[in-house]
Amino acid sequence: MRTDKELRRVVTDADAQNISRVEELSYELKVADVMARNVQTVTPDMQMIEVLELFRRTRISGAPVISNGKMIGIVSMEDLVRAMERGNTHARVRSYMTADVTTMHSYDSVVTALETFARTGVGRFPVVDETDQLVGILTKGDITSGTLKALQEDYQEEEVRRYRASHLFEDIVSDRTSLILRYHIKPRDYVHGGQASSYIKRALLRLGANAQLARRCGIAIYEAEMNLIIHTTLGGVIWVEIESNQISMATIDDGPGIADVTLARKAGWSTATADVREMGFGAGMGLKNIERCVDEMTIESKVGEGTRLDMKILLLPEESFRETS
Amino acid sequence: MRLKDVVQIIEGKVLTNTTNLDREVEGGCGADLMSDVLAAAQPQALLLTGLCNPQVVRTAQMADVAAIVFVRGKQPILEVIELANQENIPLITAPYGTFELCGRLYKAGLPSLERRIMSTQDE
Amino acid sequence: MTLQDVIERLDLKVLTQPANFSKVTPTGGYTSDLLSCVMAGAKKGAVWITLQAHLNIVAVAALLEMSAIIITENAQPEAATLNKANEEGVVLLATELPSFEVIGRLWEMGLR
Repeated sequence: MRTDKELRRVVTDADAQNISRVEELSYELKVADVMARNVQTVTPDMQMIEVLELFRRTRISGAPVISNGKMIGIVSMEDLVRAMERGNTHARVRSYMTADVTTMHSYDSVVTALETFARTGVGRFPVVDETDQLVGILTKGDITSGTLKALQEDYQEEEVRRYRASHLFEDIVSDRTSLILRYHIKPRDYVHGGQASSYIKRALLRLGANAQLARRCGIAIYEAEMNLIIHTTLGGVIWVEIESNQISMATIDDGPGIADVTLARKAGWSTATADVREMGFGAGMGLKNIERCVDEMTIESKVGEGTRLDMKILLLPEESFRETS
Repeated sequence: MRLKDVVQIIEGKVLTNTTNLDREVEGGCGADLMSDVLAAAQPQALLLTGLCNPQVVRTAQMADVAAIVFVRGKQPILEVIELANQENIPLITAPYGTFELCGRLYKAGLPSLERRIMSTQDE
Repeated sequence: MTLQDVIERLDLKVLTQPANFSKVTPTGGYTSDLLSCVMAGAKKGAVWITLQAHLNIVAVAALLEMSAIIITENAQPEAATLNKANEEGVVLLATELPSFEVIGRLWEMGLR
């Protein structure tokens, strides 16, 4: 789990939980999430005294120097002090700025940024995006406040997460406990196609399913969901029952029904229209895909009445939801 | 290969925000049939496709695809980008066709990351 | 580079009637599984890489006068597709390799 194997401090268990979250955040958060936007910039021809005014007015202590849309340097309070010491307050920015500027990328992680601060000892970095356009400025203070803000936002979610959904199967005593999810799928609703499957995959991960199991279930139910959207007259229902040792999924619709189920299960066979094919579906691979992902698949269908597709995945002992992670 | 390198090789443009370009992609998969992606793409593959509807993002999410490249400079509608941001799947658009893009990436050392399927014995 | 070279280097299976493939010089490569894209983007004489194997690919290839279709991932065309291809003089080749790999190798051979 832990990305950082070099945690050397001695900490209590309670500390460890908090520290690890902050550290995790420093990997998750990007520079773009914490940096200051709306950067105040100066031009190389401004006088240092004007810079001083700007700094006073906007309560900043450094600004990138921009010439013809390009960043050519950075000027800071220290540069101002140097200029004032020499009585050169009317000198141009260009003669006191630091020209060789190290930048950070908006997509860098906060931990990368912290390392750069530590390595260079520089107080602030201009932030550029993929195209080297200036998009912000970053100080250590921004990182602190950004991380605190994220921690706060995180807190509520964390509270919920701490009570892992998988405990459900341990805390509730019955002879056979299961969790049932139901979704209504509209016909031809291509825009939302896959949303139910996405919720199901997320629920499984939430319950502690490993990535491979969640992927298998996700792929199978997504193909089935698209079938409801593409083929049914009035849509249908997705039904998922999660138990500690197995996952049963079904799609149920009331028409049009499949004339020849054996033929429908054959790879490459499809009744999809050209439109559907152009959307990347209807290549006659769906049922084959489902079959590959699940342990048992059955189709019952009658023309004019509807279709029921049942899929079952048996969990290996190590995948069982009863085990705590 | 890092996403950063991919973007450079294919002259791509990143469409999603706060995309982590240091993320590794382990191989490539070129496909326009979503069932093919679901069947053959391995987790952490880079998907190159000529489709740019919401289903591509959903498919990528189900198949644990690392990032999506839209070929021929295709630009998905805003809803698709929003969905990708929400699901944390990087979207890149590149100005060449699938043939050229796969060729460039293969030459730069990105292997194919598709399972071999659909053998005749599969029936 | 001739179609014969391509067939040999990629170890492709020829599904349609044998012909003198060393007389055919592909003009380039094109990849898409969407017929409308192929219609819009592929050039005359190109080799088309796809995993689509249904009947419609033959009509598209014939219309665009393509050198050959390479069907990837061992997708199996139906008899009707093969008959139609033979009728129209469209060359169908098959491989177990996925599209990405096929393109990569063609690219390495210098086909653009």
